Parts: sequence; structure tokens; C-alpha cells
Amino acid sequence: MADDERRFTAIYDACRQHVWAYAVSRGGRQVADEVVSETFAVAWRRLADVPEPPLPWLLGVARNVLRDHRRAEARRESFAAELRDRGAEPQGDIAEDVAERLAVLRALGTLPEDERELLILVAWHGLAPRDAARVVGCSAAALRVRLHRARRRLLRAVERAEAAPRPVRPQVGIVSEEMS
Amino acid sequence: MNRDLMRTLAEARPSELNPDAPVDAATRAGELSRAMAATSAEHTAPSRRRSRLGWGLGAAAVTAAAAVAVAATVSGGGTSDRPEGDHPPVALDAKTVLLSAAHGASGQPDTTGDYWHQVAVERGYFQVGKGASGYVVASSTRTEGWTPNVKGGRFWSREQHLGARPATPADAAAWRRQGSPSTFMTVLPVRVAKGPLKEMPVKAAPGKTRTTRSAPVGGQKVFWLGRNVTVKEVLALPTDPSRLKASLLRWYDGHDTEAPDVPMARDTWLFQVTAGLITDMPVRPAVRAAAFRMLAGLHGVRSLGAVKDPEGRPGVAVATVEHTPIGDQERRLVIDQKRGAALSSQIILLKPKNGIRATWRPGSPITTTTYLASDWTTPTPH
Repeated sequence: MADDERRFTAIYDACRQHVWAYAVSRGGRQVADEVVSETFAVAWRRLADVPEPPLPWLLGVARNVLRDHRRAEARRESFAAELRDRGAEPQGDIAEDVAERLAVLRALGTLPEDERELLILVAWHGLAPRDAARVVGCSAAALRVRLHRARRRLLRAVERAEAAPRPVRPQVGIVSEEMS
Repeated sequence: MNRDLMRTLAEARPSELNPDAPVDAATRAGELSRAMAATSAEHTAPSRRRSRLGWGLGAAAVTAAAAVAVAATVSGGGTSDRPEGDHPPVALDAKTVLLSAAHGASGQPDTTGDYWHQVAVERGYFQVGKGASGYVVASSTRTEGWTPNVKGGRFWSREQHLGARPATPADAAAWRRQGSPSTFMTVLPVRVAKGPLKEMPVKAAPGKTRTTRSAPVGGQKVFWLGRNVTVKEVLALPTDPSRLKASLLRWYDGHDTEAPDVPMARDTWLFQVTAGLITDMPVRPAVRAAAFRMLAGLHGVRSLGAVKDPEGRPGVAVATVEHTPIGDQERRLVIDQKRGAALSSQIILLKPKNGIRATWRPGSPITTTTYLASDWTTPTPH
């Protein structure tokens, strides 16, 4: 295997599921496979341009693919609706933390699309603010601002819904490596 | 900031969206061959050729460059590139250092312009392999940014991968034992999932410069100071240390909790927010001076004495310790006392505990940012 094929395969293996999951959260399952295919076709064609780390770049490509994708556009809200509907799951004597996660997911479904996207990039894909900024195409400083706002809005949404028996409280403290 | 909330959100991720779930073998084979076939059909040879050159090209050249770089590290001493835990005797306490920096800051000219312009080198340290054959590489990126302070202005940002190389002579020896690869397969600290760790290739060779432009998002509130603030608000911050502190603390979410360690947590928060103000933001000299004076009054800030920043410039470092899941970390701010300006901010792993860095030596850097320029400019960037 040529060097660039090996490199491309390594990038694919490291990032494919991230790209797929991101596409699902932006455009729904129906279009995710297509978005993955298009994204990696672009990545192969522009392999020399793929930076380190590749994930933010790939998610940025996927984001553009999604934007140009008619069906994805139409389905933008489907994932949010799916999140909001999660309350329908059996409740019973559900464990407290499970209820709390459910409440957070539902609250996530009520946020504006762009704020939901940021929170997903950071919480589900583990991107540092700087890398999330690369995905959405703004400065790291602006990203931090928007992320902060999105967190506050999510917190308010959780508290408003108050579905969890125990409200989730913000806890300030240590900022670990991913915030630096 | 809302750490518990973010953790709950991370844990709430639907299991089907777990990025560490394996890809179905048939899907993987199909997607890989489709992607790679697509290109040869389109015959986009130029970029392919460039890619081959980019990293096929002379391992010898890369090796030579890395060898020179490593030699520089050896002769330059450990502090300049990979700061260690052993500091020279501390001549100055944190308060003296910070008050002196405040004095330096207040003597700087008070100007503004259409764009706040900054140049920095960010260096991340990554694990390659593990066990006896494992080693650490340092990967550097130069970033340049322009933040608009003019109606209709846009953000500009420019980035270049400056290359990567083994972090210390010992790392370089391990790298040579592996055949001196020109691409490092670094292990990614995947944060939110169990399952196998991911690898990320990092090239030893430098990359191209990329420039991007974007409209300000989220209105004009472009800085974070514990809250969203505009450039104008940053410029209007109080010049009195206690008023500045109060202004920042209004947005400290934890200040009304009753945990016994609140003062410590609060001061850690203040150190972090204020360090960001000093390193990143276009504050007036008098505000920067107030920020240094305010830091001088915080608990848990200690001086590390005279150090060299990663670019080899002399400065004085102050630091706080943060307890994190991967171990205790030190947040360092390297200061040029004369100018009252930040030279570098760094996160150092003091007590490795968990994760891929658990085997690192105490005192190993995780990330450093070195500020090469912070100034106002009026011409539109290009």
C-alpha cells in the first residue's frame, strides 16, 4: 500500500465514526452514509491539505457537504425532534442519573441548531474549543463565547424542564487539558 | 464551567453515535475503495503528487532537520522547550513578580486600532506508541489572528503546521530506534469513550499556511471573560484591581455555593480567566496592570522564578495547580515583567494519574502557547 493510501486509511479508521455520528446529529441517519462517502472522497482528493489533527478538518468538510445537501437541510430538525421525543421511553423506577441524562438530551433537542452543534462537537466528539472553532469556521475566541452561551442555555433548558429529580448545577472549577 | 452538565451531556450520547464503535467491515471496505477510486477517475494528479512529495520526500532531509532541532534542545537546556519540574531557586515571590509586571504594563502606550492582531506558536505534546518503544513528540503550529474592532470587520486567521519532533533527547533516541519515521503515529486522548485509543498521524515536516476569514458570529461578543464580551467591553474594563475582580466575579457561577474549598476554586477560576485576559485580549495598559495586581492578591498563585519561554526568551513564571481526572496539572503564565506582558501560557502535567499520559514524567508539558506579537493594527488584513 502506498504511503498516502496508508495515511488515508488511518485517517478513515480514526475519524469515520465521528464523521458519521456528526452527520447523523446534523442531518439524520438517512443522509449520514452519503455524507460520510462524500466527505472521505474530498479527503482523499485533498489528502495533501488534510491537517493534523484531521478530525476538525473532516468535520468541517462534512459540514459543507451537509449544507449543500438538500435532504440534509430538510432533515435538520429531525434529530432534534428525536431527542425531544426521548421522554416517551419507559420511565418506571429509572435510575437518577439515567433520568438526568434523558433530561439533558431532551433539553439539547430544544436548543437552536448552531448551539446544539457546538455542544455535540465538544461533548460527544471530544473536540477542544480551538478544534471546534475550525469545524464551524470561526475564531477560537468566538467559539468559546458561543460555547459558553450554549452551555448556559442548555442548563436553563434542563432546569426549566426539571424532568430530573435533581437539577443539574453548574460547577466551576478545574479546566482540564481540553479547555486549554 | 458547567463541568457536571457537560459530563452528563457526554454520558448522555446515544450509544449508536459512539465514535469508537467499530465500523462494519463491509462498509469500511466499500467506503475506502469508493473514496480512493473517486480520485483516480477524476485525475486530480497535482494534489496527489504534492501529497507524495510532502511526506515521501527524503526522510533524510526530515531526519536532518529533526536532528538539528534535537541538538538545539540539548544545548538549549530543558527549560526552554520542555519545561521540567526543577526550577532554579526562586528569587522572587509571586506577589513581587506580579506587582512588577503591573508596573511594567502601566507604562505601555494606550492605543487602539481597527484590528487586534496576535501571533502565537502553539505546541502540543503527544504520545507515540507505548511501553519501551513509546516516546513523546512535540507538534507546533503557528497561528495568527485578527479580531475586528471596526464595523463590518471580519475575523482573519492564519495557521501553519511548523512540524513535529521528539520532545527530549531520550524521546529522540526511542524515535531513532523505531527507524526515525517522518510521520509520527500519535495516540489520541479520546476523552468521552471507552474502547481502543485512536491514532493520529503527525508529520515531522512543516505544512502549508492556510488563511481563513469569517464574519463575527454571535454578534460582536468575541471574547470570553467568564461571560460573553465585546471588544468595546474589554476596552471598558475597570482599571482598579478590586473593581476588576468584582466585575469578573459577577460571572463566577460557583461563588454562591457553600463548599468548603470555595475560595480556592474561586481563585483558580480567577487565575484562569485573568490569565486569558492578559494573554489574549486587547485590554488597555491600565487594565492589564490591574489584572496583574489582582492576581498578586490571589491564593494559590506561586512563583516559579526565572524561566525561559519555549522560544528561549527570558521571563518569570507564576502558576496555579488544578486537579483534573488525568492528574494534577500546573497552569503557568510566563511574564515579561518589564513590558507587563505575557510571553507564554503552559499546562504542565505535575502528577500523572490516568490516561495515555499516565507514564509521562512529572513536569512534562501537555501544551504551551507562546505569544510572539499582540498589537493593534489598522490596515485590513490580507
